[in-house]
Amino acid sequence: MNEPTRPDQLKPLPHAQEYLMNEEQLARYEGMFRKDYQTWAQILGENVERIKRGSYSLHWTKTEGGHWGKRAKPSSRGLTYTDINRIRGYGELPERADWFNFAPRGSIREPYRDRMPIVDAYTVLERDELWAENVISLYEEAKARQWNATKDIAWDELEALPEDLEKATCQLCTFLTEVEFVAGDFPAKWLCRTPQDFLEVKSFLTTQLMDEARHQEVFRKRAIAGGGLLHASPGFEWALKAILDAPTHTMGTFLLNLLGEGLVLSVFRSGEMIAKTQVDKEIFRRCLQDEARHVSYGVLELKNYLGTHKNREAATEEMHRFADVGEQVILTAFTEAALVEPVAVLLGGGLKHIDKGMEGLAHMWRMFIDEYLQRCQAAGFDRSARCTIPRELPWGVAA
Amino acid sequence: MSAAADTLAPAALAFPSRAWFERLAALMNANRTRQEQLGYVDCIAQFTVLDGAPNGGPLAYRVSFEEFEALGVEEVATRELGSADFALEGSLAIWREMIESIAAGRGRPDLEHSLNRLSHMGTPLKLVYESPIRMDCYFRFNQSLQEFVNASAQFTTTFGR
Repeated sequence: MNEPTRPDQLKPLPHAQEYLMNEEQLARYEGMFRKDYQTWAQILGENVERIKRGSYSLHWTKTEGGHWGKRAKPSSRGLTYTDINRIRGYGELPERADWFNFAPRGSIREPYRDRMPIVDAYTVLERDELWAENVISLYEEAKARQWNATKDIAWDELEALPEDLEKATCQLCTFLTEVEFVAGDFPAKWLCRTPQDFLEVKSFLTTQLMDEARHQEVFRKRAIAGGGLLHASPGFEWALKAILDAPTHTMGTFLLNLLGEGLVLSVFRSGEMIAKTQVDKEIFRRCLQDEARHVSYGVLELKNYLGTHKNREAATEEMHRFADVGEQVILTAFTEAALVEPVAVLLGGGLKHIDKGMEGLAHMWRMFIDEYLQRCQAAGFDRSARCTIPRELPWGVAA
Repeated sequence: MSAAADTLAPAALAFPSRAWFERLAALMNANRTRQEQLGYVDCIAQFTVLDGAPNGGPLAYRVSFEEFEALGVEEVATRELGSADFALEGSLAIWREMIESIAAGRGRPDLEHSLNRLSHMGTPLKLVYESPIRMDCYFRFNQSLQEFVNASAQFTTTFGR
């Protein structure tokens, strides 16, 4: 047996160059902190000095400028954000954020403002670009209604289906696997641009991230447990990119939560309806619950945005301009053969009955678009005269 | 026998009736552990039997859900939504078919008789609502509502007609 190698005997690995690939980024990072050296090194110096002296500061025991002494009381559900926000000093969200670091809203932070860093990533500063009146209750609901795709689905009861139905199910799951995580990436993109003072919204967006991770997981598992993933689609990808690249949080939330997830909610409901196994039914039922929360946030976020905007007319027109494009890109996804055809096969009951399934899909299409327009209306955004998605599925029109 | 235990006794109950829905509510409340797994339910759901009244008119049951409990059942002889967030309405025949499917499946309907399956196309059950925001409650709490009606397998249901 060889003697173990000692650290001083270690030789450089053959491709050492690869390990220098972060050199530039690391140098930039070091440079950035050197630039602010005066501030943080002074704090460090003071801390070291104090510790060396064996002296205590105890400044943190002083309560002037804070809201010390009023204890939050739990409600029947426990201690919610609503409960703690009732205490004066904690529940007031600024209309425009002016804290660009992690100092908690309601803490004694003003005396330290000048010595705190600025997080450049925080760019969504207007409350009404994020807020929805139901965001706290949806956050509580989301936490309470979490589920586990590994153990809450009776995977051992999954029955094998005839090949045409199995392929249709697996293709539908492939579509859902492909689209689900944009609804994670989109809130993630905006989460880290949102200042801490909007903590309630950040908290809700975090649950949406978790929900979408689970949806991607459950549909990937369902496909692979049933035969495998099938086809990805370019049309899906353009819709996902349109969501991810939306210029503002509200625009993207409209496209993702209200329109996109509204349609995916309809797909989930259809999936439950046409499911050929109890396992599939439960998967779709569980997912549609999560999706409906996201839709609900999307509707009320848009309602709040338009309802509080100082120039509502211009804001509405801007949203219309965005929706004119957004609807068409989303339509690109929802007309893809890789989505429409497997749904029609499942609706019809087999590949032989795909025509019958298309008839059913045409009926559902009207319902999907009606519900979308109703949600827009509820948000104070009337798209009925301007919607670019046809109310009738143009199936066989040219035939 | 205590009042609570009496509520859960396996006597036959007629559908539609307030007592039938109150039994479901009692069964839900007796199984808090399951409700805690499923999560909060905050809505008022109306179950409308279009021809449920003795005169062949509508009879509806508004069930108030809050947190992990069904708080109460109100019987109204109307299709109107009133305080309900949404209503599921259908004929006695379709409600009967659903309840019998749940009983045959020992607490789980067959593929053709889940609430969503029956209501998704607007027939044979119809989802009725005034506000799409409140209607979304039907979806947000769908698994809980399904399990609420699934509990009907725990007692015998009789049908007057």
